[in-house]
Amino acid sequence: MTQAEAVNTSANYLPILFQLIVAGGFGVGTIIITHLIGPKVKTENKLGSFESGIEVIGNARQPFSIKYFMVAILFVLFDIEVIFMYPWAVNFRQFGLSGLLEMFIFMALLLLGFIYVIKKRALEWD
Amino acid sequence: MSAIITLSLLAVLLLYLGLFKAKKALLPVSLLGLLAAIVLYSIQWDTDAEPLYSGMVLFDHFAVAFSILSLFITGLVFLLSRDYFDSISEHVAEYYALIIFSLTGALLVVSFHNLAMLFIGIEIMSVALYILVGIRKRDFSSNEAALKYFLMGAFSTGFLLFGITLIYGATGSFDLTEIKNYLIANPHSISPLFYSGILLLIIGLSFKVGAAPFHFWTPDVYEGAPILITTFMSTVVKTAAFAGFLRLFLTCFVPLQDFWAPVLLVITVLTLFIGNISALAQQSFKRMLAYSSISHAGYMLFGILSIGAASAGAIFVYSAAYSIASVVAFAVLILVKRSRGSEHFEAFNGLAAKNPYLAFTLSVAMLSLAGIPLTAGFVGKFMMFSGVLANYHIVLLLLAVLNAAMGIYYYFRVIVAMYFRPADREEVTVNANYKAVLFIGALLTIAIGIFPSLLAGWL
Repeated sequence: MTQAEAVNTSANYLPILFQLIVAGGFGVGTIIITHLIGPKVKTENKLGSFESGIEVIGNARQPFSIKYFMVAILFVLFDIEVIFMYPWAVNFRQFGLSGLLEMFIFMALLLLGFIYVIKKRALEWD
Repeated sequence: MSAIITLSLLAVLLLYLGLFKAKKALLPVSLLGLLAAIVLYSIQWDTDAEPLYSGMVLFDHFAVAFSILSLFITGLVFLLSRDYFDSISEHVAEYYALIIFSLTGALLVVSFHNLAMLFIGIEIMSVALYILVGIRKRDFSSNEAALKYFLMGAFSTGFLLFGITLIYGATGSFDLTEIKNYLIANPHSISPLFYSGILLLIIGLSFKVGAAPFHFWTPDVYEGAPILITTFMSTVVKTAAFAGFLRLFLTCFVPLQDFWAPVLLVITVLTLFIGNISALAQQSFKRMLAYSSISHAGYMLFGILSIGAASAGAIFVYSAAYSIASVVAFAVLILVKRSRGSEHFEAFNGLAAKNPYLAFTLSVAMLSLAGIPLTAGFVGKFMMFSGVLANYHIVLLLLAVLNAAMGIYYYFRVIVAMYFRPADREEVTVNANYKAVLFIGALLTIAIGIFPSLLAGWL
C-alpha cells in the first residue's frame, strides 16, 4: 500500500526526467562536439549531394507518383484501426459475448472498406 | 439510434452500388433511406427520451425535430442532384455516400448528450465535407476551398477539443447532466478552468457555424465548392451546428449566462454587420448568399443569446425557413449558371419574362430570406426578435432591424434584375425534380409564413 502511494509522488518521476535529459543531451551533445572538433575539408565533391556514386541530374523537388501516396495512406488508415483492438483485447473478458460481436461488426465494416479499396483499384500500381 | 445506424449502412450500400455500376439506383435508394430514417425518427417522437448507450445520445423532442429537418433538407438536396453530380465527376456514388456520412454526423451533433459525442459528430460531419468541397479535382477554386476548409476546420476543432478538455478538468465528466449538476452544486466555487472552457467552446463552435470574427473561411469555401455542396453546407450543416451549439448551452451553461452572454453579444453584433455589409458589396449571387449565410448565423445567435424555453423553437423555425429558402435560391442558381455560365447578378436579368415560374419561386425565397411578412423568414425573425425583446436587449434589437433593412437591399437586387432588367436570353430548361423542389420550397415558405403553428408547435 505504501509502495503504491510512493509511486504517485512526482519525485518518483525524477529518474525519468534525468533519463530524458541524458538521452536528449547525448544526441545533441555528440552532434555539437563533432561539429566543433572534427576536421573540415571542403571540396566540391564533398559539398555536392551524394546519390550512391551516381552524378546528380535535375532537381530533387519533383512531384512523385501519387500511387505510393495511396498505398501509404491506406496503410496508415488500416493500421490505425488496430489501435482500437488493444483496449478491446485488454478488456476482452469483461466485454463478454457482446464485446466479441461488436468487434466482429467493426472488423466486418473494415473488411467492407477493404473490398471497396480493392474494387476501386486503389492498390493497383499501374 | 436506429435511424443513424440505417443511414450509416445506407452510405456503405451506396458506395457498393457505385462499385457495381448501378448508377440509376443511387438516387431512389438514397431517398428511400432518408424516408426510412424520417419514419424511424417520427416513431420515436412520443416515447420518453432516455440517454442511450451510457448517456452518449439523447433523442428528445429537440433532437428528433432537428434530425427530421436535416433529413428533409438533405432529401431536397438529393432531388436537385439528378444530372448535377454526373456532370462534375464520375464518382457519383461517393458523392451520395459522403453526403449521407456527413448527415449522419449532423444527426449525432443534434442529439449528443456527451461532449465526446459532440466532438465525434462534428468530425464525422466535417471530414466528409472536406472531401465534398474539393471533389472537383481539377478545379482550382474547389481545391483552394477544400484546403482552406480543412485547415480552418482542423484548427477550430483544436479549440473545441481544448474547451471540452478544460470542462472535463473542472467537472470530471463529459456528460451534459453531470456538467449541469456540477454548476448547480457549486454556484460560488466554479473552477476557473470551466470559464476558459466555455470561451474555447464558443470559439470552436463559432468557427463551425461561421460567425464573425471566425467567419473568414465561409465566403471562399462556399464560393469554391460545387453549388449543391454549398447548399448542403449552408443548410443542413449550419442547422446542425447551431442545434449542437444551442443544446450545449441550453442544457449546461444557462446558470453562467452572465459570464458568456457579453462575449456572445459581441460575436452576434460583429457577425450581423460583417455579413450584411460584405453582402452589400458582392457582384456574385453565390458569394452574396455566402455572406448572407454569415448574417443569418448572426440572427440565429440571438436564439442562444436570449437563451430560454423559447429559444429552441425559435432556432428551429428560423433554420427551417432559412434552409428551405436557401435550397430554392441555390436551385435557381444552378439552373441559371447552367444556361448562362455565370453566377453574377446580371445572369438573372430578364429571367421573369422567359421563366416566370423560376423567377416567382426565387422571389419567394428572397422575400423569405429578407424576412418579409407572410413568408417563413418573417416568422423566424419574429420569434428571434421577440426572444431578444423579452430579455430587454433594446439596442441589440435596433441593430438587428437595421441589418434586416440592409438585407432587404441586397436580396431585392436579384428580384429587380429578374423583373425589371430586360435582357436577351434563352428559356432555361427545368427538369421535373427541380420543378418539384422549387414548388415544395415556395409552398412551405408561404405555408409556414401564413400558419406559423405548423412548425412553431414542434418545440
